Amino acid sequence: MAMVVDDTTAELDFSSYSTTTTTTTTPTTTEDDHGCNWNDWSPVVDWGALSGDNDDFHDLIESMMDDGGGLNPARAVQEGCNSLSTDMMMVDEETNGEDFKGLRLVHLLMAAAEALTGVNKSRELARVILVRLKELVSPTDGNNMERLAAYFTDALQGLLEGAGGVHGKHLIGNGPHRDDHHHPTDVIAAFQLLQDMSPYVKFGHFTANQAILEAVAQDKRVHVVDYDIMEGIQWASLMQALVSRKDGPPSPHLRITALSRGGNGRRSIGTVQETGRRLIAFAASIGLPFSFHQCRLDSDETFRPSGLKLVRGEALVVNCMLHLPHFSYRAPDSVASFLSGTKTLNPRLVTLVEEEVGPKGDGGFVGRFIDSLHHYSAVYDSLEAGFPMQGRSRALVERVFLGPRIAGSVARIYRARGEEEGCSWGEWLAGVGYRPVHITFANHCQAKLLLGLFNDGYRVEELANNKLVLGWKSRRLLSASVWTSADSDFVN
Amino acid sequence: MFHPKKASTMNPHDRPMCVQGDSGLVLTTDPKPRLRWTVELHERFVDAVTQLGGPDKATPKTIMRVMGVKGLTLYHLKSHLQKFRLGKQPHKEFNEHSIKDASALELQRNNASSSGMIGRSMNDNSHITDAIRMQMEVQRRLHEQLEVQRHLQLRIEAQGKYMQTILEKACQTLAGENMASSGGSYKGIGNQGVSDMGAMKDFGSPLNFPSLHDLNLYGGDHLDLQQNMDRSSLDGFSNIPNNDNICLGKKRPSPYSGSGKSPLIWPDDLRLQELGTAASCLGSQDDPFKGEQIQIGPTTMDRGTDLDSIDIYETKPILAGDAMGEKKFEASAKLERASPRRQPLSSDRNNPMMNTGGMPQGRNSPYG
Repeated sequence: MAMVVDDTTAELDFSSYSTTTTTTTTPTTTEDDHGCNWNDWSPVVDWGALSGDNDDFHDLIESMMDDGGGLNPARAVQEGCNSLSTDMMMVDEETNGEDFKGLRLVHLLMAAAEALTGVNKSRELARVILVRLKELVSPTDGNNMERLAAYFTDALQGLLEGAGGVHGKHLIGNGPHRDDHHHPTDVIAAFQLLQDMSPYVKFGHFTANQAILEAVAQDKRVHVVDYDIMEGIQWASLMQALVSRKDGPPSPHLRITALSRGGNGRRSIGTVQETGRRLIAFAASIGLPFSFHQCRLDSDETFRPSGLKLVRGEALVVNCMLHLPHFSYRAPDSVASFLSGTKTLNPRLVTLVEEEVGPKGDGGFVGRFIDSLHHYSAVYDSLEAGFPMQGRSRALVERVFLGPRIAGSVARIYRARGEEEGCSWGEWLAGVGYRPVHITFANHCQAKLLLGLFNDGYRVEELANNKLVLGWKSRRLLSASVWTSADSDFVN
Repeated sequence: MFHPKKASTMNPHDRPMCVQGDSGLVLTTDPKPRLRWTVELHERFVDAVTQLGGPDKATPKTIMRVMGVKGLTLYHLKSHLQKFRLGKQPHKEFNEHSIKDASALELQRNNASSSGMIGRSMNDNSHITDAIRMQMEVQRRLHEQLEVQRHLQLRIEAQGKYMQTILEKACQTLAGENMASSGGSYKGIGNQGVSDMGAMKDFGSPLNFPSLHDLNLYGGDHLDLQQNMDRSSLDGFSNIPNNDNICLGKKRPSPYSGSGKSPLIWPDDLRLQELGTAASCLGSQDDPFKGEQIQIGPTTMDRGTDLDSIDIYETKPILAGDAMGEKKFEASAKLERASPRRQPLSSDRNNPMMNTGGMPQGRNSPYG
């Protein structure tokens, strides 16, 4: 797509960042560019995204991404700080582009992140930028980018105030009490909305369930150990599928062991018990032999395999849903203890759903920060694209799930100083000796059909033969992968 | 190779079809009707040919007599016999294989591109085997996709049903809280509406589920129905029976219309916007699973067993019908709930699209 670079380019020079946003025309990155990740793209701003009435901020950010490495916003802001806002107001007035505001927000966020952690660290500068940002954004009003920026602003503010302090710790913890900030019905309503508005939750659950069904097709007894059962929504569809399966013994006995934690959040013993009762009632209603157990994690959320009751002859399945949008963060140590602990039990199958992060690069905190911004802007956009008129619903989902996730994510990135906790859990599983299990045609097909139920823009790709990835446009967001213990006799 | 979105292009309904009564003949409605050689029909044809001593001895006339299918003409038989003679061997193989995949085959045959492929291959002996093999692979996949589609629908339904029990619990909790705080005043509850449940109103009554009709890769039977859909008639939410019928064939409910009356919607789906309305919750407190066994049982039985062409063709209508039937049943069984549950639909101020129906706002709506 040939773009005419017009005067707006010159105006953008005010922004102090245009040193890297060259005026070169560039082919607009296409959304259907399969397998392409944003780092491969030409490091220039996608002017196409700025030209028209395109309010797709996800694309906008995408076009910005590669500026992250090269520019030094902190210094630039230091030089031009005083004139920054007025200059940008001019741009705003003259072009009347929401996109410019979005662009400005991205720039400011990057500058703040840079000021907070970069070589020319200046907490004072960060504070100034954040004050400015707060004037511009609101988590409840405004367009997608403004709401998104509001959460990122909050997250940075938390880091600024609490670097080492109480507040920061709270953000990092993002612990079991997180949900208590919201009214329980808010959480449920947001959960329902999230499920209806986007395929994220169902993609994870159904892909895992289909793999489980295939792995236990000939078994009379199936035992699923679920790391994070929450409301148990994943299992209704598996139960339904088990009673209606045509091959293999009909109505196998299903046993689910849910891990429970202390506290009183959505994973407490009380909640898990309630989930158990609900699952038992559901299984009874469809005539599936079913039993439910709990396995208490240690106080530091470490998993001990000895806590599980195992029955000889059962097909053991380990289910590990990690980063579905409605899930809060789980400490890596806990996840690792679970996955390595269950390894000793020789599970037939391990189903893993986790977030996809952008390529690591050497961006440090700012790089990871922008990746996170990119990630969540894709999620926001996906919801908006499907439900443009349901701003209030989206705001609820954002407030209950995405906002806290953003805060936690930014805080973790900050704590890790961009080093990131190493590899994905899939890689980790391979590292401890799990073998990949092929994703079947039926499973892939199911994922595609599922996405077909939602608005355009979602896509599924088979990134490895055991891994399906759900993405929004060009951004990979969530992956589901399937594994088996090397010692297991299960051969796909 | 497979894009649900492209369903309509994958399944061109360039020629409307009609089934001719008991004979089972499928003819186009062209001025010069062309015949679909369904598997059953082809089997009868093969039987007749065998009975007459093989393709070389049989003649269109004798075949017509032996088959005795009303509406079948010499013209049809002549051309089919010709093809049969040409491609006898592979055709037999193909036929044997496809008996159990009859429906998939039929679907496949309705697919213009693939029947084009068959047609071409019939006239080219050297490629027949390859073409048939390819055909069978395509067929197998289509069949698998259909299975997956069917299962997916059931899974989504199961999950939805389960989710509903969670919502009902939340509803009870909320109602309880409100009772405690407001002394159970109906109006008070509505106004207090603790949290942000009102956000759900954005969605209109049935949370706008994407329609499974999007999954409808092949069955375009009710395409005409869909095309006759007048968007404006969908806005009459209050007119429930009509609305059900209309939505049966609706291709893709708009996010605004709130008309997600697809098979995916649980008939008594809890409308979250009414969570603040204690009265609407009371009806279903006792047993969240009441009556659900009835639905899931038969559903799985019927759909899970064999696959014949009728089933496939009518999967959508049947399911939709089931859902609608349920809905009506529910509506009548819980009359006291039906009214307040549906009213708030059109009272969403945030969503101008919702109001276009011009339906009088329900007084029961806490927001109206």
